[in-house]
Amino acid sequence: MMSLIFIIKIVPFSRIIIFVLYLHGVLRNMNYDALDFYEVDSLLSDEERMVRDMVRDWVDKEVIPNIENACREGVFPDEWRVALGEMGVLGAPLKGYGCPGLSYTAYGVICRELERGDSGLRSFASVQGSLAMYPIWDFGSEEQKNHYLPKMASGEWVGCFGLTEPDYGSNPGDMITKAEEDGDHYVLNGAKMWITNGTIADLAVVWAKLNGVIRGFIVERNDPGFSAPEMKGKHSLKASVTSELVFQDCKIPKNRLLPGVKGLRGPFSCLNNARFGISWGAVGAAQACFSSAKDYAMSRIQFDHPIASYQLVQNKLSWMLREITKAQLLAYHLGQKKDIGDWIPEHISLAKMNNVDIALEIARVARDIHGANGILDEYPVMRHMANLESVKTYEGTHDIHNLILGRHITGIQAFTREI
Amino acid sequence: MKFTIIAETNGDILHPTTYQLIGSLSSIGAESTVICPNGKGSLEASKIKGVEKIISVKGDCFDLFDGSAWASAINPFCEGTILISASPNGREIGSIIAAKRNIPIVQDIIEISKGIVVTRPIYSGKATETLEINGESVITLRPNAFESAEVGSEAPISIVDQTSDLRLSIIEAINKASERLDVTEADIIISGGRGMGSIDNFSHLELIADSVGAAVGASRAVVDEWGMPHRMQVGQTGKTVSPSLYIAVGISGAIQHLAGMRSSKYIVAINKDPDAPIFTIADYGIVATWEEALPILQSELMKL
Amino acid sequence: MNIAVLLKQVPDTTAKITVSDGKVDVEKVSKWSMSPYDEYALESGLQMKEATGGIVVAIACGPDRNKKMLTDSAAVGADTLIHIPLDGISDSVQIQNILAAVIKMNDIEVVLCGKQSADTNSGSTGPGIAEILNAACVTMVSEVSFVENKFISVRPSIAGSEKVSTNGISVFTFDKGISELRRPNVRGIMMAKKKVIETIKLEDLGIVESDSGRIILHSQNPPTEKEPGQIFEGVSEIPTIIAKLRNEANVI
Repeated sequence: MMSLIFIIKIVPFSRIIIFVLYLHGVLRNMNYDALDFYEVDSLLSDEERMVRDMVRDWVDKEVIPNIENACREGVFPDEWRVALGEMGVLGAPLKGYGCPGLSYTAYGVICRELERGDSGLRSFASVQGSLAMYPIWDFGSEEQKNHYLPKMASGEWVGCFGLTEPDYGSNPGDMITKAEEDGDHYVLNGAKMWITNGTIADLAVVWAKLNGVIRGFIVERNDPGFSAPEMKGKHSLKASVTSELVFQDCKIPKNRLLPGVKGLRGPFSCLNNARFGISWGAVGAAQACFSSAKDYAMSRIQFDHPIASYQLVQNKLSWMLREITKAQLLAYHLGQKKDIGDWIPEHISLAKMNNVDIALEIARVARDIHGANGILDEYPVMRHMANLESVKTYEGTHDIHNLILGRHITGIQAFTREI
Repeated sequence: MKFTIIAETNGDILHPTTYQLIGSLSSIGAESTVICPNGKGSLEASKIKGVEKIISVKGDCFDLFDGSAWASAINPFCEGTILISASPNGREIGSIIAAKRNIPIVQDIIEISKGIVVTRPIYSGKATETLEINGESVITLRPNAFESAEVGSEAPISIVDQTSDLRLSIIEAINKASERLDVTEADIIISGGRGMGSIDNFSHLELIADSVGAAVGASRAVVDEWGMPHRMQVGQTGKTVSPSLYIAVGISGAIQHLAGMRSSKYIVAINKDPDAPIFTIADYGIVATWEEALPILQSELMKL
Repeated sequence: MNIAVLLKQVPDTTAKITVSDGKVDVEKVSKWSMSPYDEYALESGLQMKEATGGIVVAIACGPDRNKKMLTDSAAVGADTLIHIPLDGISDSVQIQNILAAVIKMNDIEVVLCGKQSADTNSGSTGPGIAEILNAACVTMVSEVSFVENKFISVRPSIAGSEKVSTNGISVFTFDKGISELRRPNVRGIMMAKKKVIETIKLEDLGIVESDSGRIILHSQNPPTEKEPGQIFEGVSEIPTIIAKLRNEANVI
């Protein structure tokens, strides 16, 4: 006969709180809940909302389940290139030539939803759209636009952007990559570094000095004297391809010169567009970290209570909410200004700098809330944290944007020793 | 108000829901006429307490399931309030009869009382509503929500011939490949953790799963250490599931696993360690070894 | 071929449902979505359109917020969008008559809808409409195709599943389908933005919105609270637990 003695353990108070919350559905749905405290998304147009939902759903289904593995293996899954092309989000704000022709705000929304998945994923789209397609769209000849843009919009051809060199990062103006005329060709010599998509790219928009003046050149994958080895050993943006571009007497036909621009204005126009997208993207990464931290704090019990019940944790979550809300509003307003053409590059510097900086801090604090669990790829926070280190440095370092604003305020440049 | 019940069978014997339909009327103090499609189960039904009479409707159209044809054949014999099980077939037949008679239909009720007042879940169980029905209606009852009526009576059976034109035909039977359900599809999941001891012991979980149509899941520890397929992993980096019932066996309940299953409607945990964290979110916790608990669990489930 | 897809907008399955003063706070629902099974019906309709060269007519009745859902259906390929404004809560008979009337106006050959909506969880609409239209009806299908002038659908059977054939106008209600739901893309979104939604008012159908009084809502309530967790030493309570799970919780 089985023992008839049973013990009913009355569960401790804190666990009843968890239960009550559970019953009321707070924990019921661990589905992604993008923080939008001031309901900034309610200002989106129907088209922008539908684009947001389309990308968010795709990231939920295809990116979130696979990103940690992609990160461990250090690969950018080719299926994502295909999906981004199919969705039609590459080169989002460009009009004509098979390009989407969406608003800048929509472009920002796309970047935000991609970066909530991973900064490396958003980097692919930023480079493709703002750094490779955009210069061809704005500075290329009709033949170049018709030849390259449709296939880049569909994702069939991948592009990359060659500006930064091993010894010339924040100071691109002094670059040493050279182009020399040779009959009906140009010959390029030099090297570029930190080039997203380089190894997988079908074409590169390369900035080099022709007779001392910076010009843009389209180099294709199979051009003689061109190679794009991958840079390995990164602790950041691991699900993204980062490469060197090496030009050793690289010979390209003359029709590869971008006719429409001379000097740094060319690459800087591209960077402005990419930085705009990044200011939105950083919000996505911050939202992802906040969401994970909040869920974790509500579930993790120490000293018989969820850590969300402790003041120091609430302080951190509250700070995150404030910073994300501010960043969202900055990004949204910037998008509105960009869409009506009422903007200056310094507006973009402010948003990129602020939003990436707070996103990195939010990721760090989020990792802290997760405790030891935060270092595992069970949770996204440390991956976002490591990624954002790169995002803070690329597309104009934090300090450079700071000085851009300083120059705007005072009229005095403080980048170099010579005034 | 008259009550008509449309019986449902499992092969030639009455489905338990038919007993529940008849039993549900006892709270109203009402008796019913029971219609047996194609006469199946009519003798059995005639012995149930609360049945006034049986109408055994025989026809060719009952050879396969065509909701329209069945409804057409049964409809002439329906009167008053019509009760049917909220099974897939029941819902279909009920809806068609309601449309034919231009009367409302209320589906999936879990309570009934005089008035007629019924209660049913809405928003996938996130709320309930209580309705008063005036006049004739079709009502479908959630299986296992009502007490079964008892046997020990005798009601007259009348046999009528009634068929109707079939509007569909079956052109091919496709037998289900006996693949166990995936954790993301199943409404019941039974998962094993390190406490199971070895991968071989998962066979006990599989037996139980098969008996109730459940899926088998696993914690990260056993997937990593014993090489179970990753698609079985429930947890932060595995699948997030929200079945109606989650049975965790030999799983301690690390936060990563909980994240994957805490939104399950009901959670049962079996673990020999009374301090295992899984007990903090379990609706029913059983402090016992799996060797002790699983055989009893299995025999109880087989009885159902 | 004209393919009608009946779409219902419901609170998103992740949205919280709150109750106050005996009524569900419909105004407080944070997110509205296409009812999940209807999505499979729409996908099937789009595939049928591609196979037979027909058009998909998406039909929704309900408040104005349904228009967003119709636009979303256009973004994946629905051709004609019809909205029947309805603010009050109508009973199943009314809704079926309204939808059937619109279907009759549009020369429809096949009607697709979800097996049940995520709010009422009833499943009366599909078969009820089939009856009004005198159409064949197959419920719980996972796929439908049009082959040699017949509709071939797959539905569950005791042994697994079975292929069913129907002729003439047919209604199919969908369970989870076998196909992946297609994503919209930017092109689809931009074309959908321009699509005009046809509004059909009840007066145009000769129907007067009225409460027949046959069903009176007494109250809506939160679900019965679960008992707090109970822990038992030993296996003696297992039979009781199983019984509770079956008879009270209804999960087995």
